[in-house]
Amino acid sequence: MKRLLLCVLMLMAAVVSAQAAGPAPVTVSQARIRWLPGDLPMAGYFRITSHAPGPLYLVGADSPAFGMAMLHRSVEDAGVSRMEHVDRVTLNPAQTVVFAPGGYHLMLMQRKQDVRTGQAVPLTLRFSNGETITTRFRVVGIEDE
Amino acid sequence: MRLRRALAPLLPGMRLALLVVAGLLAACSRSQTPWGLKDISGLMPPLDFTLTDAGNGATVHGKDFRGKVVLLYFGYTHCPDVCPTTLSLLGRAVAALGNDAAQVRVLFVSVDPARDTLAQLKTYAAAFGPQVVGLRGSDTELKALTKRYRVTYGYGKPDAHGNYEVSHSSAIYVFDRQGKVRLLAGPGDNALVITADLERLLQSGA
Repeated sequence: MKRLLLCVLMLMAAVVSAQAAGPAPVTVSQARIRWLPGDLPMAGYFRITSHAPGPLYLVGADSPAFGMAMLHRSVEDAGVSRMEHVDRVTLNPAQTVVFAPGGYHLMLMQRKQDVRTGQAVPLTLRFSNGETITTRFRVVGIEDE
Repeated sequence: MRLRRALAPLLPGMRLALLVVAGLLAACSRSQTPWGLKDISGLMPPLDFTLTDAGNGATVHGKDFRGKVVLLYFGYTHCPDVCPTTLSLLGRAVAALGNDAAQVRVLFVSVDPARDTLAQLKTYAAAFGPQVVGLRGSDTELKALTKRYRVTYGYGKPDAHGNYEVSHSSAIYVFDRQGKVRLLAGPGDNALVITADLERLLQSGA
């Protein structure tokens, strides 16, 4: 009985803490996905500005439209382009971080639905403290980037 | 030290000669407007390769593109950022030529033939414009071409899902209508600059 009570209390604490981790104090703008044919991975780009008093750590993303979304960065080194996986992106207070072609981008894989130019796809950015922000990403044509 | 002492009396004359040469060089180069892109004329062999055209499945050779100005770029279709950005830049630069765009081809050579099927490469290339041609080769064909133009590429470790990253040279080689290498562009170059140089290459008749 005691154990059950403890479990209930722990569960309640978990619910409370999950509620505390609400929307992240950030502004996301210019959110877009560059369309590519077939089921090829696409890149998501945006600008993000932090309004938090301390550093925020962007650690992941997910979207109902994709099976997998990852934080990536393109690096050019001595004439060679490569892509690397990024575990977290630090957002300092009042800082704006730009996800743009040739740098940071979201790698969006395994389409779960038909993704067409002109659509707006919801995408959630996740932070290390459990906070999230959901924004609609506009699907733009290849020629727009 | 001894050499310098021996040369010392000659130095003023040498300086004068150098100045004259430098002046002549400056005058000569001024007579021809510099290219917007990097001039690499003569630094690489003429366009030559054997690959498969993803558009129709036919075997194609470098010489099949004589008469066209060719932009040669290497990449892979599972590349969501740099490759589409570069191909989109080249597509825009070529489209800005108007009717002359038909005289230009952008050759996109896959360095990831294991994943890039001909069908996939065809759809991918076509998405960037009618002048973009997707090319795929066997390991031997790809190695011959990349060695010829000192193009590097490599594969990362596959993740749990079998996905892997590919590193590849970001260079874009521009060949004139005779298949001679002329210019080097990169993903950071401006579309207007690329268009202007392509226009000049087309007009020069070379």
